[in-house]
Order: sequence, then C-alpha cells, then structure tokens
Amino acid sequence: MEKFSYIGKDMKRIDAAYKATGEALFSADLNLPRMLVGKVLRSPHAHARIVAIDTVKAEKLPGVKAVVTAKDTCGDKWGVFKYTQDQQFLPTEKVRYVGEEVAAVAAVDEDTALEALSLIDVTYEVLPAVFTIEEALAPGAPQLHEVYPNNTNIHVFIDVGDVEKGFAHSYLVKEDNFTAPEDSYFQGEPYAVAAQFDHAGNLEIWMPNAGPHLKAKPLSNVLKIPLNKVRVRKITIGGAFGGRSEISPADVICAFLAKKAQRPVKIVYTREENTVCTRQAHSMIAKIKTGVDKEGRVVARDITCHMDGGAYSSTGPIATSVPFLCMEQAYRMENVRYNGYRILTNKPIRGMFRTHGRAFACGVDIQLDMIGEALGIDPLTMRLRNARQTGDTTPTKSYVPSCGLTETIEKTGKMSRWKEKFRKLPPYYGIGIGCNSVQTGFPMGIRGGSQAFIKLNEDGGVTVITGIVDNGQGNDHMIVQIVAEELGLTPDDVQLITADTEVTPSDPGSYSMCETFIGGNAVRLAAQDVKKKLFRIVADEFGVSAEQLSAKNRKIFVTNDPQQEMSIAKAVRMALTRNESISGEGSYWPKVDWRREWVKNPYGQLSETFSFGTVICEVKVDPETGQVEVLEVTASQDVGYALNPKVIEGQFEGGVAMGGQGGMLTEYLQWHEGRVLTPTQLGYLIPLAIDMPKINNIIVETIDPKGPYGAKEAGMSVAMSAAQAYCGAISNAVGVYFHEYPITPDKILKAIEEKKKRDPKR
Amino acid sequence: MNEMKKTAITLNVNNEIFDIVTFPNQTLLEVLRDHLHLTGTKESCGEGACGSCTVLLNGVPVRSCLTLAIAAQGKEITTIEGLSKGEKLHPVQEAFVNHHAIQCGFCSPGMILTAYALLKENPNPTEAEIRRAISGNVCRCTGYAKIVEAIKSLAEEGR
Repeated sequence: MEKFSYIGKDMKRIDAAYKATGEALFSADLNLPRMLVGKVLRSPHAHARIVAIDTVKAEKLPGVKAVVTAKDTCGDKWGVFKYTQDQQFLPTEKVRYVGEEVAAVAAVDEDTALEALSLIDVTYEVLPAVFTIEEALAPGAPQLHEVYPNNTNIHVFIDVGDVEKGFAHSYLVKEDNFTAPEDSYFQGEPYAVAAQFDHAGNLEIWMPNAGPHLKAKPLSNVLKIPLNKVRVRKITIGGAFGGRSEISPADVICAFLAKKAQRPVKIVYTREENTVCTRQAHSMIAKIKTGVDKEGRVVARDITCHMDGGAYSSTGPIATSVPFLCMEQAYRMENVRYNGYRILTNKPIRGMFRTHGRAFACGVDIQLDMIGEALGIDPLTMRLRNARQTGDTTPTKSYVPSCGLTETIEKTGKMSRWKEKFRKLPPYYGIGIGCNSVQTGFPMGIRGGSQAFIKLNEDGGVTVITGIVDNGQGNDHMIVQIVAEELGLTPDDVQLITADTEVTPSDPGSYSMCETFIGGNAVRLAAQDVKKKLFRIVADEFGVSAEQLSAKNRKIFVTNDPQQEMSIAKAVRMALTRNESISGEGSYWPKVDWRREWVKNPYGQLSETFSFGTVICEVKVDPETGQVEVLEVTASQDVGYALNPKVIEGQFEGGVAMGGQGGMLTEYLQWHEGRVLTPTQLGYLIPLAIDMPKINNIIVETIDPKGPYGAKEAGMSVAMSAAQAYCGAISNAVGVYFHEYPITPDKILKAIEEKKKRDPKR
Repeated sequence: MNEMKKTAITLNVNNEIFDIVTFPNQTLLEVLRDHLHLTGTKESCGEGACGSCTVLLNGVPVRSCLTLAIAAQGKEITTIEGLSKGEKLHPVQEAFVNHHAIQCGFCSPGMILTAYALLKENPNPTEAEIRRAISGNVCRCTGYAKIVEAIKSLAEEGR
C-alpha cells in the first residue's frame, strides 16, 4: 500500500497555470484607481553631507501630488537588530553611497515625476570616500558612521578547542588567501512597491517580500500606526534568493507618498535601481589556515574573513557568520578559530545572498584539494574523511540530528564516474567536487516560529491561513500538499490565504531555508488538529476510537473496515449541528538555543536541523582562449525527505546555474569609485540556456526526525556547493589552484602562462 | 512638460482591435501594459537584454521594450494573454506547467512565447536548437533544464 497520496509525488505546482497565462500579478502589474507614479531621487555622490534640500520648485510643477524628504520620515532609522539600527529611511545628514535615497515624488505620470526630480535642489558637501576593505581600514580613513570605529561594523569571534596546539600537532599546515568581488541577486522581477491609504488610515501595500510580517513591523514603527493598520498583501514574487527580506526605503517612501497624496502610489525600480539600491552580495577576502593529520583529517583551522558590507549594517551579523557556520556544519573540525569582520565602505548595501560567501566556501574546499594533493589523497576521499556525520555536534554546539553528506559524496562520485576520471582525463579536462551545508532557519533574536489556521467549508473543503511566502520556489504548493495529505482531501479542495499581514499569523519568512521545516510543520500540525476534531465526531458516530480511523479520498473511514465510512463534508455538517469547533490551529517553534546570539554568544543550537550537499563538475578548458566549457554537473543533496521531487530538482538546477555557472564563471560587479558599471544584463552576465551543461540530480533522503515527513530544505546545499565544484574542476584542468573568483578567461590564460614559465617542459 | 503631440494609433492585439491615443515615443511594452492592461508582458531590463517583454509580431518574437507602439500598427500582435483559449491552456503553456518549467514565473510569459514561435517555425527542434532559441530569454530560477525538457516534450509529440 502506498504510504502517501501526495507527499513524495511529482505534482504539478498549483501556481504554475496562472503564471503560464500571464494572469499572475506581480507588484508592478497593479493598477489601482487614481494611482500615481512614484520616483526616487538618489545620491550622485559616494559620501557627502546633505547641506540643504529644496523641493519648492518640484512641488509647484503641475501634476506633482506629493514630495517626501527626511522631514517626513523624521530621520527614523532601521536595522535588523537593535545594535545595527544605522540606516535612515531617508538620510538627514549624510549620504553614504551612490544611489542612496534622498527624496521622492509622486506625480500623475512618469515624465512628470522625472521632471520633478530634476527640480529638487540638493546641496551636498562632498566628503572623501572609501571603496575597498583596505581603504576603509587604513589609518586615518574617512569614517562612515561614528558608532563603528575603523569602519568595522561587525566582528564575529569564535574560538573552539585549542587551535595553536592543533597546528602544532598537525602533519601538514597550509595557509592561503581567497577573494571574490561583489555579485548580484539579479531577481527576474525588479523591485516594485504599490501603496494606498484609506480614510481610516489603514495602509495597504504590495511588494516582493520574503516575509510580510518583517515588512509590517518597521512600517508600523516609522508611520506610527499600529500593526493592524499595516496590511502587507499577498502578491506574486519574482524571485528573492535571500533578498527581499528587509524593509526597503522604497516601501516607506511609497507609503509616505500615498499618505501625503491620499492616492495610491506605485514605485517601480529600473534594473539598475534593483542592482544598486536593493541589496548586493558581499565581496570577501578569506584567509584560511588548515592543519591536517597524515590521513588528511582536519586537526585545526583558523579563518579570518573580511567582508565588504557597503554603507550600512543590513543583515550584517548574520552575513558575517553564515559562511563559517555552513562550513563548520559540512566538515568536522575540532579546533577552530574564526574572525569575521564586516567592513563598511561607500558602496551599496550588502545582504544575505543565496550563494553567500563563494570565496569562503571555495577557499575551504579548494584548500582541501591542495592538501590532498600534497598527501597523495584525492579530493573525494578528502571530503569523505572530513564529512560531518549524524549525531555529531558542530564546534559552535549544534547537534546534527540527521546528516547524509557521506551518501551525497559517494553517490555523486559514482554517478559522475569520479574514480575513472580524476587524474585520468586528457589535458585541459578537469573534474572537481564541492560540499556544503545550510541551516533550516536560524530564528534567533529577530523572529519566531510559524503559525497556521485551517477553516473548513460545508462541502468538506478547507482554507489554509498561513504567513508562509512563496517567492518562486513552490512553497504555496507545499502547503496544499501537506494539508491534502493529512486530511485525505484532493489538492483542489485546499484554498490558500497566505502572506497577508491583515489575515495571516506570524511566520519567520521565506529565507534562511526555514519554510519547509518551520512553516511546513506548523501547517501539518494545524491539519492534524482538524483531523483530530473530525475524527472525534466520526468515532462517536461509528462507536469506535479515533485511533481506528483514517482519512483518504474525501472520506473518513475505519481503517480495518473501510466500508464504515463518512464523507468529510458530512462530518463537517455534523460538527455544525453539534456546535463543535473543527477549525484547526498549528504552531511550530524550532528547538534552538535562544541564548545564542550572532556576536555576543555564537554558541548553542543554531538551527533544529541542517541539509548537506555535494556537487561534482566536469569541464574542458580551451588553453588558447581561456574559455571554460562545462561538460556535465552532478548535484546531490540530503533534503531529509523529498516532498515534491521535481520541485527539488528545479532547485538543484537553479542552484547550479546561480552558484556554479554564474558564480564561478561570469558573475561579478565592476566598479568605478563606488559606482556600479555593470548593473544590467548587458554587463552582468547571467547564465543563458546555451551556457548550461547537462545536470544530473541525486536526491538523498535521511528522514529527519523533526522535519515534516522527514523533510529539511530543498536545494540550498547544492547552490552553496556548486562554486567549489566548478573551481575544483577548472583547477584540475589547468593544473593551477585558483584563489580569485570568479574564474574568468583572463585569469585562466594568466595561470596557464605562469605555469608554462614555471614548468616549461609541459 | 512633454511637448510631443499625442497621436492616434490602431493595434491588433490577440485578434482584437484597439484604438489608442498616445505619444509616438511610447514603446509597445508601455502601451500593452499601461493602456491595454495586458500585464502578462513583463519588464525586467528595459534594454532588450532579457526577453521578459517578448511578444510576437506576425508570429515573430520581438522585444516589446525596444519596439515603438506606432511601428506595430498593421501587424498581428500576440501577447501571453492571447495564447490560451478560454479555460484551455495552449499546449506550450501546458508543457511548461507539466514539466515544472515555471518557478517564480516572471520570465515565463516571454519564454513561452519564444518557445511557441520556435515550434511554429521548427516543429521538431533539437536540444541545441531549443537552447539557442531561448537564449534571448533570461531565467534566474530554473537553470533552464526543465524549460528545455518542456519544449522537447512538444517536439517529440510532433506538435
């Protein structure tokens, strides 16, 4: 007998058809009656004092309905944590990067709005600026914020075991530096926000978001209205990839414009604004020192990482920690020290990106390859010898309840025919491996668990009410699958109300990989609550105990005597006549150590469980042009349990594209003095269909003890491993280990050239 | 203010005739979205690089962000809204749904129209031909594998 009707099955996503027809509305598609066009005036300077802002001419321009400046937002500041509240929604004193918001207008059309911006007269006193980590840390460097001496925004310090002793006892110690510039999220949908106020002072607002409640709180604070008047509405979201979680100045500006004009206002970002004025990914310099025993097992590791955070904190404490935490989860290391520094520069703000920390992850992995070569151990064996295992505790004291990393390494190796290929390929062909691990949410400090409600209709159908957000990965479908499975309904019987702060309860948001584990568990508990109530009624009727009942095909029946059955619709009606509540409620709070804090106390259970992934990549390098042709990629992840395997494959494939193909070959932002030179697709090269290799997917299931049906998360450990596999493969093909990423053709040609000089015979 | 004079244009969109008064510098994308409320056509880059705004002019995929609305007069314009017939999805749309070729969905309208035009011109494309044909449409979510599978499934069915 099949265990599940829907869970674990390849199911068509419930949201696919309406996205295929163009019916799905994204924020920029909204068109409300009397809606105005909002536009933002941005700083042309990387660092400048704002002496005066004169908006009189702009306000007088016919067609202009509202102008806002920092006077309206009262200089209010935002920060993810209490100790990082450093970004004003509109700055009062200084601008700190090219593109920072200074003022905004709402007008009857775009041309008028743009003309009005040109009439706003801002007097700046230009200040010296810093554009790199080195400049920012130099003695006497211009300071961005008084509260962060030496432009050092965050310092995360972790020290476990005895690192020096570990190095002293190591058979081999290696130290290297790895660097990567900034990359861009480049969501398909440019940022957009629409807002309107009603006469009672209720705000309705739509924007791509990773958690409506995380947007509502700062809006409530800055607008000084209670949370129940802030209605962040559900809308289709065109990708997030770790972004879209924080409040954007555009949200606040749009709300203030709508309030002042008493008309709906919509701000739609250009592609350039989306690249420069939302979030970017950190550039990074990682110094990694690793000591191993004769068998290649890591004895001690000391990592110092400097990240360029741009002008403000954003998710700084998290961003400074996560690359390290992922790697301490993936690989065993007993004696380890980490110094993570987030440095402020006069560049756009950096946040948490899906493939955050490519220099870090590549550094750790490629150094294992280098050490392995010195010891005569191949990279795959190096991974196996250091792989995290179920039941381990990480250095920072997280228990790992399930871990299939070894299985992912072995299966990926087998499918890609690693043994037959490594060191046996023709010249300029190469194969490489990468591993990583991610959290399933890290709810500390700023957010809690997830809650869900289920309402039953008289025909037996249900409406699920949850704060879970779908930014493209398929979370909405997951909710339907879980509820249909638990209640024995069909997916058509399940309707959703999600991600709307007026109606839906709190949820941690769709980032940090927590929606399946935390949101999914909450929804499942709500469905089980309904089931319990319905079963009580049916059990009474049949004179059996509730434990003897099952639900399937819209019916509740006695498991051992299926002839005794009642339709769910009838059970619902009986509940009504008996005046019994059958609505369901579920709440899930992950079991983590709530005393853990990113900077002050980085020890304790970080996340309730973790996913693990391996990617192997095979490439061919053209020694004449430096071009890399990727021949095949094999991706594998311990997902806990695959709720919808095709959705997971899609996450693997997207992760390989973003993390490997883009992240290691073509994607990086180019700069001139704090100005992004490549903000659009013409300069920032996202992989195209012709670039992508064949991808083999291997789903590994470890059935996590606490995940819904054993599920953890669907693909992030692949996205975080792909860069290393690409890097390893190119290094293997060229015979040179690369330390600077992405590995563009110029770097490859230079490496080949230098290698020839060193070793002219080959 | 804008000193340009508005002009009357007539567009045939999805077999419906629309009379519009607009500035001659308006792009087809702007007119479709802002005047006709056909918001299935998306803007992602605004400079012809990403393919999100793809529509068909006499069956040929064009970037509506680079096409002036006045220049589309007298041609059959097909947007994503014109593909499905009532409740019934077009087979290309159905294939995208069935093969998980849609994640966030922002690039999907343009991608589907490009695939539709390819299959009209070449009902049995090879994988290389499919990849080349859709390489003017950027997708940030899928890595293209499922999109290629969806189009291939139609080629194999000989539609």
